[in-house]
Amino acid sequence: MTYPAAESAPQTIAAPAAPPPSPPRAMLVGASLFAVSALLCIVGYLFVSVPGNWFGSSPTLRWTAAELAVTQGSGQASAEGLRVSASGAQGIAIVSIQTSFRSAGYAAVAWDTADVPDDLAAALVWRNDYEPGRRFTRPLTVEARRLLPITLADDPNWIGKINGLALIVRGDLSQPMLIRGVEAKPMTAAQVLHDRVREWLAFEPWSGGSINSRNGGADAQDLPLPFALAAIVGVALIIYAALARWRPQTVGPFRPLIAGGLFVCAWFLLDVPWQWNLAREARATFKQYAGKPWRERHLAAEDGPLFAFIEQARARLPPPPVRVFMAADALYFRDRGAYHLYPYNVYFDPYRNTMPDAAKLRSGDYLVVFRRKGVQFDPAQKKLRWDGGQPVDAEILFAEGGGAVFAIH
Amino acid sequence: MEYLSLTAGLMLPWLLGLALLAALGWPRGDSAGRAALRAGFGYCIGTLLLTLWMRLLSAVGVPFGWLSIGLPLAMAAAALAALALRAGRIAPVDLRAMPGSLLRPPLPRWQRVVWIGLIAWLALRFLLLAADVAWQPLYPWDAWVQWATKARVWYELGRIAPFVRAEQWFASPGGVYFDAAPNYPATIPLLQVWSCVALGRWDDSAMNWPWLLLLISLTCAVYGALRGEGLAPLAALVAAYLVASLPLLDTHAALAGYADLPMAAVYTLAALAFYRWAMRRDPLDAALALGLALCCPLIKIPGLVWALTLLPGVVVALLPRRGLQVVGIAYALGLFALLAMARTNVVILGYRLHADFDPGWRAFWDAYLLSSSWNLLWYGAVVLAIVGARRLGRPRLAPLSVVVGTGTAFLLFVTWFTNASAWILELTTLNRATLHLAPLLVVFGALLWRELAGDAQAAATIAPAAA
Repeated sequence: MTYPAAESAPQTIAAPAAPPPSPPRAMLVGASLFAVSALLCIVGYLFVSVPGNWFGSSPTLRWTAAELAVTQGSGQASAEGLRVSASGAQGIAIVSIQTSFRSAGYAAVAWDTADVPDDLAAALVWRNDYEPGRRFTRPLTVEARRLLPITLADDPNWIGKINGLALIVRGDLSQPMLIRGVEAKPMTAAQVLHDRVREWLAFEPWSGGSINSRNGGADAQDLPLPFALAAIVGVALIIYAALARWRPQTVGPFRPLIAGGLFVCAWFLLDVPWQWNLAREARATFKQYAGKPWRERHLAAEDGPLFAFIEQARARLPPPPVRVFMAADALYFRDRGAYHLYPYNVYFDPYRNTMPDAAKLRSGDYLVVFRRKGVQFDPAQKKLRWDGGQPVDAEILFAEGGGAVFAIH
Repeated sequence: MEYLSLTAGLMLPWLLGLALLAALGWPRGDSAGRAALRAGFGYCIGTLLLTLWMRLLSAVGVPFGWLSIGLPLAMAAAALAALALRAGRIAPVDLRAMPGSLLRPPLPRWQRVVWIGLIAWLALRFLLLAADVAWQPLYPWDAWVQWATKARVWYELGRIAPFVRAEQWFASPGGVYFDAAPNYPATIPLLQVWSCVALGRWDDSAMNWPWLLLLISLTCAVYGALRGEGLAPLAALVAAYLVASLPLLDTHAALAGYADLPMAAVYTLAALAFYRWAMRRDPLDAALALGLALCCPLIKIPGLVWALTLLPGVVVALLPRRGLQVVGIAYALGLFALLAMARTNVVILGYRLHADFDPGWRAFWDAYLLSSSWNLLWYGAVVLAIVGARRLGRPRLAPLSVVVGTGTAFLLFVTWFTNASAWILELTTLNRATLHLAPLLVVFGALLWRELAGDAQAAATIAPAAA
């Protein structure tokens, strides 16, 4: 008989207190998550962006502005490219090029343009060798004052050999648009990625709009870098949260340090192109202005001719504080000219192209005019009038290069 | 020689502010980040005192010059520094230790590497921005159409002369001037005038050094404030880096001359001083917050509203139990009043209120999320606000939550309900209006992240103990 009591008592032996598995090092986890997420996001982006084959060996075909012909409207070759204009509010301009390439290897066409009015209607025209008598058209989109590339891989008429490309634009082209060239692109995965990186790293020099906003590279971008990096961090955090919840042995428990680290790393990655852009900008500023005294710097600036004119005007004016009226058709010249005239007691219309009421001028006032239409001076009568108004007694003190200084009597 | 004089002129407000804070013994105690706090707040306070002094000189008819401006302020700085030394509030040994703690911080190795890397990266950033400040003639539009116009006249006259609207200008026999914004406050032009006085001649590049110095001082202040709130040195430095690397803030330092960066700096420092007061109830913090808030309208006209955004925070700080309810009710009443007002055409601070409710989501999307103006600030802010929503009302965060919330509401209000919306939706104003709030948003995000991290750490500590 065996009594349970006689049996050896079951012993509950605690397992040796093994240390809990140490969570993988935060940096390794963070780097792995970022890399995996970046890979997923890139593949996902290519999946929706590459119109045809991911891989290919066709080189990009490029035609420069010198090879383009203006068949309607007018074109003027410049160092930057071809300046195209058309007369009238609804003027039409056509630029064309003879080509000969197989459409199969080229999924997109990109016109390299600048200064395109936002309300311009534009279209790409092409001919193929299947129907040589027909011209096929697809509208183009204007964004950030340039024409966006167009994908043609899904167009049934983008077939066979392409024998000619043309650009038709209609609208107000009184200020000419710039065409630097045109490209037929294979749009493989590598090229799509290359284009995106090129957009992100494009030099963004200071402009009038810089104080309000920064593009972060090219003016028009298919995939802005902040959005791309935010998507990568977002996907990484989702993967991380899921692993920490259901597979903690791989990444350990959820650590905010890793989440914060991913965010800061993405921030830094976005900051690197910004620092690089600042360095390029600093170099440009250095080349343009460094070593010059204050006056020479102004003469070297983009408004140098205006500054030089105002300097000459100031030399003819009595010392401040006489009243000086500044007039110019262009808002920039009017406001900037006024700025250069201070500390004279300057009047200008900061917003509209208006002239002062002649009745409000008095003897001893001065009028500085820079590239302003509608101002007439009769030297024999010594009468000055503007915009068809009443003449006032005046004397011309100085005139040069589309500008003049008048003393009002 | 003239650049030596300019450097002395630029350093003078910094020394004045530092000496004042040291003499007052602010921040009290042996708090972490004290040197950074003093450096950051010192410059901002010093520049404000400088311009107030210039206003006084002009009012009593003393012309601007080194002797009238620089000498009295230098003497005041010296006297305050002597007072601080005698009271033991400046220890020379601390000053000697500062470079060492900046370049060889007592941190674990990898953190030290990151620390030094970030310091070097920031130093390079400031150097690159300095290149544009040093050489670029005054560039951005409003800077030369409404700010430097006054600076030029006042520098040449040696006093403040009135700027008036066109009709008054035409009617006047003389002695008054006109520009695109004659009603704008005098602080910014006076700052430029002082730089030119220090230099000894008019120079519309050199007069803009205070913008870069304001950015540097803001960076220091953010670091010091976060250290004071208990963030680890590296975490505080990372947050300060996030502020200093905001692309639009950098742009306003490089293309200096607008009032937005000074507005952002003064408002952020006012909010940080307020937050210190809310956490510690030190009257000195309150005095600083009040002084800086009162100076906000002296920078830009909307500064008055920015200063008022601190009031709900004060309510929450003073009424820890019911403050949030009181503010909530006030918000509801404000919304009701807004809806009533928006049916009229009331003009407040030059902005016409009307119910042209037009959210313009696309403009926000473009400005905040697609353009690189803010790096990833708005992605981080939105995610943190969602994830940390339940923590916003905690006593450690509630006062600042309310301030940031009110500031955001102000931005939305201006965007949706006023005639400024037309400029804002063209992106000419949205980002610049946002700039005033952005540095504070980074600080707030860092504090909220600390709460989240603290909770996660606490949960991780409890979980094994319970197992």
